[in-house]
Amino acid sequence: MNEKQAPILVVDDEPEMCWILENIIRKTGLACMTALSAREAMSLTESNQFSMTFLDAKLPDIDGLELARKLRKTNAHLPIVIVSGYFYPDDPTIEGVLQEGLIAAFVGKPFDHDEIVSVITRYACR
Amino acid sequence: MEDKTLKTAGQELSGRYEQLYTMLLDAIPSSVLLIDQNMCIVSANRNFLEKGQRTLANTIGYRLEEVFPTVILDQMDITKRIRQVIEKNHPAKGERMTYRAPGVPIRIYYYSILPFTWQGKVEGAVLLMEDVTEQVRLSEEVRRVERHLGSVVESASDLVLSTDKKGRILTWNAAAERLSGYPAAEAREHDFIDFCTDEDRKDIQNIFSRIDTRKYAQMKECPLRTKQETFIPVSWVFSPLKDSSNQTAGVVAVGRDLTERRKFETELHQSQKFAALGVMAGGIAHEIRNPLAICSSSAQFLMEEDGTPEFRRECAEKIHKGIQRTSAIIENLLKYSHPSTTTRTTLVNLASLIRETLTLVAYHANILKIDMKTSFPREPIMVQGAATLLQQVFMNLFLNAINAMPNGGRLGIDVKMDHPEVRVRVTDTGCGISPGEIGKIFDPFYTTSIVGQGTGLGLSLCYSIIKQHRGTIEVESVESRGSVFTVKLPARFGGGES
Repeated sequence: MNEKQAPILVVDDEPEMCWILENIIRKTGLACMTALSAREAMSLTESNQFSMTFLDAKLPDIDGLELARKLRKTNAHLPIVIVSGYFYPDDPTIEGVLQEGLIAAFVGKPFDHDEIVSVITRYACR
Repeated sequence: MEDKTLKTAGQELSGRYEQLYTMLLDAIPSSVLLIDQNMCIVSANRNFLEKGQRTLANTIGYRLEEVFPTVILDQMDITKRIRQVIEKNHPAKGERMTYRAPGVPIRIYYYSILPFTWQGKVEGAVLLMEDVTEQVRLSEEVRRVERHLGSVVESASDLVLSTDKKGRILTWNAAAERLSGYPAAEAREHDFIDFCTDEDRKDIQNIFSRIDTRKYAQMKECPLRTKQETFIPVSWVFSPLKDSSNQTAGVVAVGRDLTERRKFETELHQSQKFAALGVMAGGIAHEIRNPLAICSSSAQFLMEEDGTPEFRRECAEKIHKGIQRTSAIIENLLKYSHPSTTTRTTLVNLASLIRETLTLVAYHANILKIDMKTSFPREPIMVQGAATLLQQVFMNLFLNAINAMPNGGRLGIDVKMDHPEVRVRVTDTGCGISPGEIGKIFDPFYTTSIVGQGTGLGLSLCYSIIKQHRGTIEVESVESRGSVFTVKLPARFGGGES
């Protein structure tokens, strides 16, 4: 994979979750940046270009989906993946935002690393 | 000459007697008929004529069946009885007779037949009829009322009993027999306090000694000791038993068996718990899935076998920590959802109970971005109570507060000693309660939740649980600003004295 490709943004208030996603991403050969809150994530997007982003649904300041809407405003083509233990795959909220095109994919916690790798391959390595 | 005078005097005397006899006959409130052997009326007194609406002219000399309705004569067999009296020269025993003259309401008579003899020979019979309509009616009424009252008391499913002023059992209804196992005869050999627990005796003696000074009936929940030495929860109402001169002659105790209600309450508490768990499910799932995800991913890294020893050790540590975290959440849930089969009270550390409850709602609060601010005194705060029930009260109050703040806010929990009480204030910065609604919030089934999201039983349960703990629960609220719920419970200090 391309070392020069834009990094992936991981947003989760749980440092352990950031650590896990970071490790998986690094193994794919891509770079990664992490944020523990939506505010932190917003400020990172101001100064960086990202190839895609993994968002937790429940963040301490604003909800993951709300953050997704904010990001969408400034980055019309950024693939957004929600990684959460709060929702389940056929949750009406998730089905709604998938259909709407707000998010590219949903991964429920806990997950198999292959699931994460396959969304990375699909959305970040284009 | 002398003979003549005597005769005249005799005639005069018998004339007087006859007049006296007629007067007496007419004055008595009974009907008297003299009947000859041919069943013809020889004499009838005024009472008979009035009652039968007859005159002497259409009575005297007439046959009995021409004067009496034949129905009665046949039914009562009066003619035959008169003949027997005359034949045997022996009075007939009195019997009751119902008589209805045309246009007059039914009258009931008590009648007897006496033989009338003149110079040793039976000439006829005297039929004596006493109007007992009113007496019969009254005594039937009395009996009916007595029977009715008796059956009310006996058919009541509540215990209904009475005692003398000293508490000695006087009456003991069927429900009391059934529930206690003591037949009434045996119960009457006891005092009311013999059926109470040792702890309740003093209270009961107080109630009995003050019964006539109290304006209202006195209530107390105290268990009834049965013959099998078990105890049935009973809610009693004691009222003074007044005699006809309005003096207190004893005590009437009406008791309701609370076994079924207790069972229902336990079920209600349990279902309420599960409803609360349902509300918290999202938060709990999120909270459990995070450490699960960490464990799962760390295990997957370990399986890849290409990590450094340091990385592999880090993975193992994360798995260990994740499992501990999950286990702690599950333990809290288990503790909370455990059925509260017993309402037996113990000494409870209220502060730690509230802390434990808070950890359960913390996940839910966290997801809704609710800030929790707590304040506990340094020393342990003890109350006498059923821990699972008290936990439920605070769980309900916390969840209500959290649900009032769907867009985040602040949940304040302030526990303070306020001698001799402990005061717990639960404040939220949520939607508040309108003045029109605030009076209804402790009513069962009152809810502002969307159908399926709340049972509306939460606060009414809180109210009844706190009341059972001899405490109070109050609410103050400003619409769109927030609410404050204040729970006060009697604190227990060292030595167990309240």
